[in-house]
Amino acid sequence: MKVNLMHGAGGAVFSELLGETLTRYTNNNAGGIGLEALDDGAVIPLGDTNLVFTTDSHVVKPLFFPGGDIGRIAVSGTVNDLAMMGARPIALSCAMIIEEGFDIPTLERIVASMDAALGECGAAIVTGDTKVLEKGAIDGIAINTAGVGVTEKPVRDCGLQPGDVIIVSGTIGDHGMAIMTHREGFDLGEQIASDVAPLWPLVKAALAAGDIHAMKDPTRGGFSNAINEMAEKSGVQVRITEEDLPIRRSVRSASELLGINPLDVANEGKVVMGVAPEDAQAVLAAIRSHPQGRDAAIIGVVKEGKSVILETPIGGERFIEPPIGDPVPRVC
Amino acid sequence: MQIKGKISIKGIVQGVGFRPFVYKTAQDLGMHGTVRNLGSEVRVHAEGTNFEEFVRRLSSGTPLSRIDSVTVTDSDEPVPAEFVILESAAGTLSGFIPADVATCDECIKDIFTRGGRYEGYWATSCVNCGPRYSIICALPYDRERTRMDAFPMCGACEGEYTDPASRRHHAQTIACADCGPKLSLLHPDGTTVPGEPLHTAASLLDNGAVVAIRGLGGFHIACTAEAAGRLKGALGRPEQPLAVMATADEIRRVARISPAEWELLNGPAHPIVVLPKKNPQALNDISKLHTIGCMLPYTALHHLLFAHLTNPMLVMTSANAPGYPMITDTREACERLGGHVDYILTHNRVIQNRCDDSVVRDGKIIRLSRGLAPKRERCDLGDACILGTGPELNANISIYQGGFCVTSPHVGNVRNPPTLAYLKETVERTAHLLGAGFDVIAHDLHPQFLSTRYAQELAEETGATLVPVQHHKAHIAAANPGPCIGIAIDGVGYGEDGTVWGGEVFAGAVPDFTRVGHLEPVMMPGGDLATRYPERMLYGILPEEETADLLASRGWDATTLGVLQKQVERQFNITISSSTGRVLDAAAALLGVCRERTFDGEPAQVLETTAIPGTASLWEREFIQEQGRTILSTSALLREAFSRMKTEQTADIAASFQQTLATGIAEIAVMAAEERQYKKIALSGGVAYNQAIESAIRKTVVASGHEYILNTDYPLGDGCISYGQCVWAGTTLKQGK
Ligand SMILES: [Fe+3]
Ligand SMILES: [Mg+2]
Ligand SMILES: [Zn+2]
Ligand SMILES: [Zn+2]
Repeated sequence: MKVNLMHGAGGAVFSELLGETLTRYTNNNAGGIGLEALDDGAVIPLGDTNLVFTTDSHVVKPLFFPGGDIGRIAVSGTVNDLAMMGARPIALSCAMIIEEGFDIPTLERIVASMDAALGECGAAIVTGDTKVLEKGAIDGIAINTAGVGVTEKPVRDCGLQPGDVIIVSGTIGDHGMAIMTHREGFDLGEQIASDVAPLWPLVKAALAAGDIHAMKDPTRGGFSNAINEMAEKSGVQVRITEEDLPIRRSVRSASELLGINPLDVANEGKVVMGVAPEDAQAVLAAIRSHPQGRDAAIIGVVKEGKSVILETPIGGERFIEPPIGDPVPRVC
Repeated sequence: MQIKGKISIKGIVQGVGFRPFVYKTAQDLGMHGTVRNLGSEVRVHAEGTNFEEFVRRLSSGTPLSRIDSVTVTDSDEPVPAEFVILESAAGTLSGFIPADVATCDECIKDIFTRGGRYEGYWATSCVNCGPRYSIICALPYDRERTRMDAFPMCGACEGEYTDPASRRHHAQTIACADCGPKLSLLHPDGTTVPGEPLHTAASLLDNGAVVAIRGLGGFHIACTAEAAGRLKGALGRPEQPLAVMATADEIRRVARISPAEWELLNGPAHPIVVLPKKNPQALNDISKLHTIGCMLPYTALHHLLFAHLTNPMLVMTSANAPGYPMITDTREACERLGGHVDYILTHNRVIQNRCDDSVVRDGKIIRLSRGLAPKRERCDLGDACILGTGPELNANISIYQGGFCVTSPHVGNVRNPPTLAYLKETVERTAHLLGAGFDVIAHDLHPQFLSTRYAQELAEETGATLVPVQHHKAHIAAANPGPCIGIAIDGVGYGEDGTVWGGEVFAGAVPDFTRVGHLEPVMMPGGDLATRYPERMLYGILPEEETADLLASRGWDATTLGVLQKQVERQFNITISSSTGRVLDAAAALLGVCRERTFDGEPAQVLETTAIPGTASLWEREFIQEQGRTILSTSALLREAFSRMKTEQTADIAASFQQTLATGIAEIAVMAAEERQYKKIALSGGVAYNQAIESAIRKTVVASGHEYILNTDYPLGDGCISYGQCVWAGTTLKQGK
């Protein structure tokens, strides 16, 4: 069998590849939380604190889109993985693989954008590497960043407990829908902007406001994938109230026009968390006080059991399932 | 001459009054001995000079029984001096779960007999009628293993139960007003409405109230025809046709009924029979189609209710959201139906097993359920015990074991948590009743169906072998497993090439089918979205300026239309499908008769209704040859329809479209049969319920001299899939593949 594009789309098909091939290291743990956990980052205990370490490679078409660009994603992606572990991002590396003929002014714009994003969260790029490949060997540019952060108390994605309240830090589906509509040239009347942003300042405020049991950023595979991973790893059931899901009107109408579920598409500046019920209001208030968290909402609760269930306004129930690469119609 | 021996009778011999029948026959012939129920077998030890005549009479059985075998062996076991019915013993449970039976004529007489013991009693039944499956907890079927266990017999009932001369001799559901379950009429808040419940409910209904009624296998929501509009509004299903329960005279007045349909309406199952309306425009509030689903009262409760009612007809719809399980529990009815109904007429007998009404149209089973299921089919699929977990929509499950395949009643649309839970419960309960442990679990090929996931989980738990079965091949396996050409005309199902199938012609035999022909693969813009909005489907098949203009003239705004065009141009979130249902949807959209699908199969059904007054002519069919497969061009067909819209009547176009599509598919099958020398051509799939399409295919097949096969023992739609999956898996295993 060969790797295909569906493997890269996240969701169930990707999980298979991950489970059967990409995590078969015997040397996979440096003392704390390692690769085996498939969490957002690795945790390495270091004296009284913990070092958190993560890496991510970024390609996106187009390089510049409403609300962001590949540079901003490259910084935010790694910073957010650190933040999801409860870690303050400190330093990042940056490796660029560039296609021969790539425009230097464009490169300058990307670097400037990365620098701005670093400034927003107080991190720095402290080391780097560049490779240039012959024309056609790569499509424009790919950026890998790795990052380290520190935390005294790591937050996992598997820590949901029955009784917890599920909070999402803002509207769902913005990034994926922005990229898709922009790339394909859909004229929807209203432009959708990506939410790409480093989340550390918002997460820091939330951590200070209450007891957060679990966090995850709903990137590839969207909210559907993230919440299922959290529920499954935690061994709990999550019940989401459809009416309470914050979804931008433009995203909703795009999804209704294109047949794409906004819960299945990527976000680059959102966090989903499980919070102790007594702390929920304080955490929500802390998130909302941050400009990126104005649309934050309590969207569900954690119960004993398994799977993720969406409760509809008319009293119906649906499963929220991790998307596979491509949707397949099921109506008979 | 034999005068003594052991007689073993196998088959459907439970819950059908078999032991009393044996007893009575023994009395008549002066036999002495014993009879015992062993589950799927009744065993008789008897002695007497009329022994051979006794065996002969037993072999003819009772009206509800079905005898697979009668074996007589020598026995030296001592027999008592008289004839005795012994307690049931748990023997082999491989057999039969009795289905519910509509109230018999004699019981109807009883409830209307002045001063009689059963006068006015709502749960009157006898050895020939009454609840079975819906109250059964375990086999063998005896009172103590049913929900009637909660109602100890009074002296009078006990007397009849033990009296060999009585029709209620060993009738497990015997009960009367003194000892049996009782009715009550409630407000939705659970408080009691004063007065005699049936009388009061009848007058409330007559006055326009909406009343939930707890029946055999679940709750109905009932109201008069005048109140139908209000009920549909409350349910949020303004377009969906509802079924009615009515007196025989009323059904004859509003619908055209063939003698066969009349027999079916009155048979032991009393299903909903979908009948053509005499006046297609009549009762439009209940059904906007040219047909209406009718049933006769089938419990004593219904008969008594109609005796009190002035109205001869009630709308009777299952109390559930479409695709969700029907409500069976009184407290749940109060909680969930409060907003929709004014009153709740209920009783205190627990519904152990949920069972919706069966639906039959034109001799074809649409929904296999109350009275018809659990359905038992004798078939040889080998030694393994097989579970078929079914498809996703209109699902049921089947279990094969030891020469019989048992199919459960209708489960629903397995795409939400309550229905998935009901599917699991049905598997567990049926397996428990049958004493089945699965060696093999067959499931749909669709990776995302919840029934597929459930099959995978269950296999992991039990170590059973998984067998995925392509949806349309399961259709044909259910229709005819032997060598044939199979035509599956359907909604959509996951195909082996990752596209969505649904208009397929196969050649071969289970488990080797070759896809030899199909409908043209066309675009479904937005996937499932195109199913909900058939005009998207229309543009997917005819992505042309003319189509866009038509949509614009129908009020599509520029943004929406622009996005649809772009989506098709960029091939963004497009599914490719050869479904027959989607082509009919597109035709309904083209003719402007259905713009949004609000219930299962709506566009295609509305198209069929539209075509009724039309005259069908056969248009040109355009076939494409590709990699040895014959493909019928549906875009050419739709374009033809489009071009005729300026000059021809809508009804004529609808009729001709159906006729040409059906004939084209049948021609592919006939060509394949001739080329590959098959004698039989089998048809399955939900589109085959369309009378015009089915008869056009039948005519073409029959005219070609091939044998035409339509398996009317199972639903043609997805209610046959779980059975087809079992056939597929069993045959595969037997052939060692
Ligand atoms: Fe089907
Ligand atoms: Mg991450
Ligand atoms: Zn009876
Ligand atoms: Zn009694």
